[in-house]
Amino acid sequence: MTDADLIARVLAREDHHAFAELVRRYQSPVRAFLARMARGDTHLADDLAQETFLKAWRKLHTYRGTAQFSTWLFGIAFNEFRSAARQRKELTVDDVDELPAEATQPAAGSGNDLRLDLTEALKRLSSNERAVVVLCCQNGLSHEEAAKALDCPLGTVKTNVLRGKEKLKRWLQGYQHYESA
Amino acid sequence: MLREQSTYINDDGFTQRVIAALPRRRRTWLRPALLLGSAAIGWVLAVLWLPWRNLPAVDLSALLSLNPQVLTPWALVLTVAASLVWAMVAAIQWDD
Repeated sequence: MTDADLIARVLAREDHHAFAELVRRYQSPVRAFLARMARGDTHLADDLAQETFLKAWRKLHTYRGTAQFSTWLFGIAFNEFRSAARQRKELTVDDVDELPAEATQPAAGSGNDLRLDLTEALKRLSSNERAVVVLCCQNGLSHEEAAKALDCPLGTVKTNVLRGKEKLKRWLQGYQHYESA
Repeated sequence: MLREQSTYINDDGFTQRVIAALPRRRRTWLRPALLLGSAAIGWVLAVLWLPWRNLPAVDLSALLSLNPQVLTPWALVLTVAASLVWAMVAAIQWDD
């Protein structure tokens, strides 16, 4: 059954089974995205993901089907993250632009080290940069889709992707084969 | 590398928790059931209370003469019956 069929069933009959299927399909990317956004705090990410799906249930009638359902969900998820961050007053301290020099020069090591350092480096990006890098580079959204999801201009998305990638590249330059990231 | 890191996160009861937190389902059957019940009661009352024996006999000449004394009571009966049929059909076809 396609997403559109399931959505139609939810809208027509408030079908919990159909909505459960939608949640099952998209829980993994939404939770992973929010875990990245919450800098690895999986409990916070799961709370936000639950709120995301509850909000999706309430607002499903506003989904027009012009974007993919996952794009629409990422948009809600990002708004949930932003609201939570605002409540926790994290946005003001979120934009860490530069790392201390020693932290930016990891010793060249195994792939596992690179993975760990990439995870750490992602945490250092500003929330807007992290969101677009994760959406575009990890989840495969186009710049247009990311702009739609995050409700920001296309130019801003492109700038943030570029800036985010450059920072990651700079911070992880000690690794060989970084380019493949 | 980022793509490689996007491993599948097991559900582990997440979907169940979301579904349990959804608002309770509206009772979509209630309105059509009320409509159907009201229509059924209407039928019973119509059968019991309408003055069937006092209704004027209908024949072709009376119909053609458009005599209001003949047509008015029958028009009322037909209107009541039609509205009850419409209510029942609407209740059966109810799509919330």
